[in-house]
Amino acid sequence: MKLINLSRRHFALAAGSVVAAPFAAGAGPLTAGDAVKRIQTELGGDWPDMGPDGFKAGDPATPVKGIATTAMATMDVLKQAAKANSNLVLTYEPTFYGRADGRALAAPVGRGSAGLAPDDSVFKAKREFIEKNGLVVFRLRDHWQARKENDMVAGLAEALGWSKRRVKPDDALFDIPAATAEETVAMIRGKLNLRGGLRAVGDRRGVVKRVLLCPGTMTPPTMWQRYSEVDMIVAGEVREWENTHYAADIYTIGERRNLVTIGRVASEEPGMRFCAVWIKSVVKGVPSRWIGAGDPYWRAA
Amino acid sequence: MTGREVVELIKKHVGVPWNEQSYRDTFKLGNPDSQVKGIATTVMVTFGMLKRANEAGLNMVISHEDTFWNDRDETKDLTSNPLYKLKTEYVLENDMIIWRIHDHMHAMKPDYTVVGSLRSVGVKGGEDAVMRARVYTIPETTLGEFASQVKRLTGSRGFRCVGDPKAKVSRILLGPGYATPRITADADVVIGASLGMAKGLIMLGHVVSEQPGMEDLANWMREFIKDVPIKFVPADEPFWT
Repeated sequence: MKLINLSRRHFALAAGSVVAAPFAAGAGPLTAGDAVKRIQTELGGDWPDMGPDGFKAGDPATPVKGIATTAMATMDVLKQAAKANSNLVLTYEPTFYGRADGRALAAPVGRGSAGLAPDDSVFKAKREFIEKNGLVVFRLRDHWQARKENDMVAGLAEALGWSKRRVKPDDALFDIPAATAEETVAMIRGKLNLRGGLRAVGDRRGVVKRVLLCPGTMTPPTMWQRYSEVDMIVAGEVREWENTHYAADIYTIGERRNLVTIGRVASEEPGMRFCAVWIKSVVKGVPSRWIGAGDPYWRAA
Repeated sequence: MTGREVVELIKKHVGVPWNEQSYRDTFKLGNPDSQVKGIATTVMVTFGMLKRANEAGLNMVISHEDTFWNDRDETKDLTSNPLYKLKTEYVLENDMIIWRIHDHMHAMKPDYTVVGSLRSVGVKGGEDAVMRARVYTIPETTLGEFASQVKRLTGSRGFRCVGDPKAKVSRILLGPGYATPRITADADVVIGASLGMAKGLIMLGHVVSEQPGMEDLANWMREFIKDVPIKFVPADEPFWT
């Protein structure tokens, strides 16, 4: 925690002071703090210290050799980033297994785990790897998904081959070639290179034409309002006692819709691939690339 | 015997102080003062489960999870929802009563969701298990073989695994429902339902993981409720792949 606090203070200095000459553009090597400052300026909005977006590990004063975007900074992604000289890693999901993301939370919020304590051996090993390899990890979620051009949706649509099938520009509805739910699911699995993470609820023989894309998660009110508009919702993950339960009841009353969850990270990967392209237009002079985390799940025989 | 009287008996026998502040463990629908003809325990009040309970003459449903697709069973955004209307009308027309037992079940000794879940995956010795269970030891096998065994025993279709299928495992840590335990170096396999230095993580699915314990709850209730039949009525495994 101590090291991270120090890093956060460095960053505040770098980002907040115009007289911090070593960090000014053109006056020295581009640091992680400089690169992040450019991204923050371009995206706008407030970046509160306790928000989810921010530096999670590494020193923001580190000169940037390359930038990697990813849906989740897993150990495997970090190893690939180090190997590819992409030492600034922008991750959509947490690095340290929960919303606290390495910070101590006063009390757990809601259901589920807040994440590992900073003295946990897995936490320590991961942070040591980051520091030993000169990596800097910054979480970029809220401000990236709040962009007017929601690339989380556009990215997923492109990965599925549906870019030209959007019903209207400001909504995530798509009219796709008619096929059964089973055929559509097989197509989705293939296009996204999924292993075992996809799960579906509903009528597998129902015909799918209109689809709503919800990368990430989906609230129950969204489900209640929008499920009746479409043949299929493709989401990242939902709570099983909430939206899965609703989809099961809709099936029981004889409607033929399907709720397909492809995995939280799998649903966010294409959007972060778009992010790597966008970064090129914001932070020039260093290479920017996307590193896939992959579908972590397999199914038992 | 009324629904309210059934709940009073449960409160008397539950073995932990009753928390009146719990928003979960309350009546959800129906008239608590209606006469109970029979009791169905279940993990989730799905529409399919409701129909099966009603057809079996069981008009009181005791569920571990929610009725209206959100944890607080908040209904203000649902009043014009067609599915909400159908489900509500079905319950009221058939004079059914729905009551939830979640928080107190996890506080009970033993916690039947953990007891049932351990039994259902073939791990022995968990008859006295509580939430935050200990590590259980099984004869050494591989993660892949253990996962296949768990899949076969539970019938889970929404079952997902993380880790090297060839890793040798013998120490099992299990958390039912959403309570996936913290992954620690003390266990080879961590079993949860919803989200690795452990070698493997197996996620059963919420219904499959907490369902078996509702049969234990029914058995426990029979010890002090003798006047009406009590049956375990499973909810469907929702996933087709």
